Amino acid sequence: MNEQGGRVEGHAEGRVDERGSSAEAAPSVGAGPGRVLVAVYGVFALAAGARAAVQIARQFDEAPLAYSLSAFAAVVYLLLAVAMARGNRTVALAACGIELAGVLVVGTFSLLDPEAFPKATVWSGFGSGYVFIPLVLPLLGLFWLSRRRAG
Amino acid sequence: MIGPLATGLIVLALLIAVVSLLTTALNKAMGNVLLIALGVLEIGLLVQAGFLIAALVRGEGPAETATLIGYTAGTVVIPPIAAFWGVGERSRWGPAVIAVAGFAIPGMVGRMLQLWQGLG
Repeated sequence: MNEQGGRVEGHAEGRVDERGSSAEAAPSVGAGPGRVLVAVYGVFALAAGARAAVQIARQFDEAPLAYSLSAFAAVVYLLLAVAMARGNRTVALAACGIELAGVLVVGTFSLLDPEAFPKATVWSGFGSGYVFIPLVLPLLGLFWLSRRRAG
Repeated sequence: MIGPLATGLIVLALLIAVVSLLTTALNKAMGNVLLIALGVLEIGLLVQAGFLIAALVRGEGPAETATLIGYTAGTVVIPPIAAFWGVGERSRWGPAVIAVAGFAIPGMVGRMLQLWQGLG
């Protein structure tokens, strides 16, 4: 969109991007508070991903749907962290949307039909096993991304 | 696992998290104190990982060996990444990144203790 042709609009930042890439000239979504989000998404990608990997390797038959969803959530968190760190707003937005949809759909579904989710995933019960952080994270991400565009 | 060491690591990590949040609240960038504290925490986590691996090799570990190894690897990897990512951000949000790590480590070490005691 506005990432082409080395448009410089970042005087306010007062700092030169050492990578010298013209696409990074505008204040990135991965700077400032965005860094904190990247850190949290990274931790969640690691936590959910490692847990899902172990579960799938050792006891996949117990709850194939739940474990697959955990692994999928972890991949999206990783995608989200990388996209935000690199300032790729579109991918970050899409990943936030997937996380929000996932936690809402799976959260509702897990309450309606607990039998389908015998083992907890990141998303079951709206992320209640993770202090509801999975529900808050995509909202924070969307809020941050929309503020970055306005500002 | 060594109880006192794990407890000490949890306390230190929480302390780092609180100081980081204070630093963010005061609108300051990362200071050396936080970096040194992170370094101490990392050394402690490496020592703990060493003891854990030794115990697992001796066959003293709990049933959930794979999960325990995953958490151990995670705790060792997080502080350096947080330090790298936090130092690169020269604003109040640098220490906020450290705070995330400071809160993640106690959770992970706590889970490791649970697994070790066979409660997980």
